[in-house]
Amino acid sequence: MSDFARHLEDGLLMRYIDGELPARKARQVEKHLQACWQCRTEIEELKSTVAECIRYRKYVLGVHLPDPPHPWADLSREFARIDDSVSAEPFFARIFRPVASFRWSLAGAAALALVCAVIYQLRDTPSVQAAALLKRAVAATASRPVKPVRRIRFRTSSQQFVRNIAAGKAAALPQSLEARFQQAHYASNDPLSARAFENFRDSLPQKQDEVSTVANPETHEGNCYRIHTSTDTGDVASATLVLRTTDLVPVEGLLEFRDNQFIEFSEFTESPSRSTDTTIASVETPERPAVPPSRLAVAPPRKSVSISDELQVLSALHQIGADLGDPIQVTRTADQITVSGVGVPPQRRQLIQRKLDSMPNVAVQFSEPVAAPVLQGSTSAAPAPSGTPRPSALTSRIQNRLEEQVGGRAALERFTSQILDVNETVMSRARALRTLAERFPGGDETQLTAGDRRLLGEMAREHINALSATIRSLQHDLNPVLAGLGGVTAHRAVSQANSWQTAADDVTRASRRVEVLLSVLLGVAPGQPSAELPSDVMNAVSELRADLDRCQQLLAQEGGG
Amino acid sequence: MQALVAQLFEESRDDVYRYLLTLGLHPPLAQEAVQEVFLKLYTSLKKGEDIQNPRGWVFRVAHNHGLKVRARQSNEEPFDPNMEARLTAPAASTEHDLIERERMLGFHRAVEGLSEQQKRCLFLRMEGMRYPEIGSALGISASAVGEFLRRAVLRLRKVHDV
Repeated sequence: MSDFARHLEDGLLMRYIDGELPARKARQVEKHLQACWQCRTEIEELKSTVAECIRYRKYVLGVHLPDPPHPWADLSREFARIDDSVSAEPFFARIFRPVASFRWSLAGAAALALVCAVIYQLRDTPSVQAAALLKRAVAATASRPVKPVRRIRFRTSSQQFVRNIAAGKAAALPQSLEARFQQAHYASNDPLSARAFENFRDSLPQKQDEVSTVANPETHEGNCYRIHTSTDTGDVASATLVLRTTDLVPVEGLLEFRDNQFIEFSEFTESPSRSTDTTIASVETPERPAVPPSRLAVAPPRKSVSISDELQVLSALHQIGADLGDPIQVTRTADQITVSGVGVPPQRRQLIQRKLDSMPNVAVQFSEPVAAPVLQGSTSAAPAPSGTPRPSALTSRIQNRLEEQVGGRAALERFTSQILDVNETVMSRARALRTLAERFPGGDETQLTAGDRRLLGEMAREHINALSATIRSLQHDLNPVLAGLGGVTAHRAVSQANSWQTAADDVTRASRRVEVLLSVLLGVAPGQPSAELPSDVMNAVSELRADLDRCQQLLAQEGGG
Repeated sequence: MQALVAQLFEESRDDVYRYLLTLGLHPPLAQEAVQEVFLKLYTSLKKGEDIQNPRGWVFRVAHNHGLKVRARQSNEEPFDPNMEARLTAPAASTEHDLIERERMLGFHRAVEGLSEQQKRCLFLRMEGMRYPEIGSALGISASAVGEFLRRAVLRLRKVHDV
């Protein structure tokens, strides 16, 4: 019946029977299954193995594992003890319940699935991104001529000094620091290298990565990739490496230990006052206590919080990519900033908590996810995809033509999934940009210091740049296909926005329109398609790009924030 | 709330206990751990924590607590239920039972042959946990859970198909 390339991968089928696919993907699978006997048989076989697992649980584990050695205790006495101890806690602590609402409430289950898909995608890719980035950075190092001498500045909680590293020959570190590196299983001879970080990362039995783009911590000009790897095992809680985006040269690294100690190492760029052809460490200020690294900066407690504090919190979240899809909400009251999260995985929680720990007047509250209820005790793998939207004749026609354009159904499936992925990235960036615009509208910016405005501008610029690149890639993938369907681009009125914040609003609106039109075009959402749909999509994307350009332009005019 | 936790305790304690045995906890420690986890659940609910899926929560906390207990018992061997011996123990049974037992023995060997992560994902899934919940218990992403489960099920399917 169908060629092999059309068949669905078993991983997808597995997630389908487990009800773990986003609604629209589930609908695609369902649609495919209606047509494909082979995939239906495949699914039956998977289900049969799942049933065997359940028999195994019941008749092997349930019967043959030893019973508990003692009768089960009655927990009610313990409950009463807990009641007493909890009621001794302050009243407000007991009644507080984190608000489980997203700022961007989306309508319906399909929209919720989209958010979940964004979150999972972001949770999913960083480890791959980190590994790939490190590989590229190691290769880039190998292809660069070796610098005769590099000067690396080390900072810990008690000392800071500069050490020269000559190719392959490293000067000895103070014993205490060397011991710390050993404890961390992190190579001390050239710590500020992708190789050292990669080896350390590879050695971790359990890890979680975050990859984000940050401003260059040394020069504050240009962007850098920031790879942050945290782990639950060993003495090191997390390690961070910052690589220049242009040439993947490491510029800063940080090891954070579980006992709150840290080692920061960075390229020392000031002109050397000592001979540079020596491998002897030049310990400059060993006895002077160093200030903690900027990201761990401890500010004195303040009585009231300002918009500037809020910006710092958002910036901290931005550094760990927590503004791109993590279900996190930031609220500011007169004396406190509350960061609440719903359904944030534990390691992510720890990371956010650690990131915000040193900030005064910041409360972090997490709660469990608002997920589809799981049937307690149920082990059946029942999919719960919603019904496939019934395509209209026109949608089907457009789908058929799309299929022809891209070269068959399998190619269309790939195309659809690729476009939807790109669209999700667009949406998450647009939301992040809008959040900034909403929180710091034009008038409020005047309450910010010059440094704050610069920071806000940098964050907004990062989102704009990333969004701009994503839209370009969307147009690159989409336009040839749409043109083949008769789509043409018309000139549209440019945005009338007069501040980057209002332009950001236009960007959000435009990105939503793109999403809706794309969903109709790709047949993953019901809609009333017109014959102009291909042109509409092209125009919507152009409009989005124009709005974004306007936003970028206004931001630049305002002096970068 | 007491009634809710007490009911869940009654319904799920044996499942959690067995899960902890498969994690390598010795029976007395596993039983103690189960009770601690349910008391922890009660404390969290009492403090106002919004727990949407208590059973999933219990397994996640039990898994992490179980790992800590196992680390503490590191000077002794992890618990080995020696299932193979139990499965092959002679018992008065019909021919059908024998065939079924043989089949289950083969299946058990295949389960034992899975990687630790595959096994963890499979056991937690068998207890009804969803991918994100399993992921958060094991500290991996939901899609990694999907991948481990896929591999596990494919390996088990080979045995099942024989």
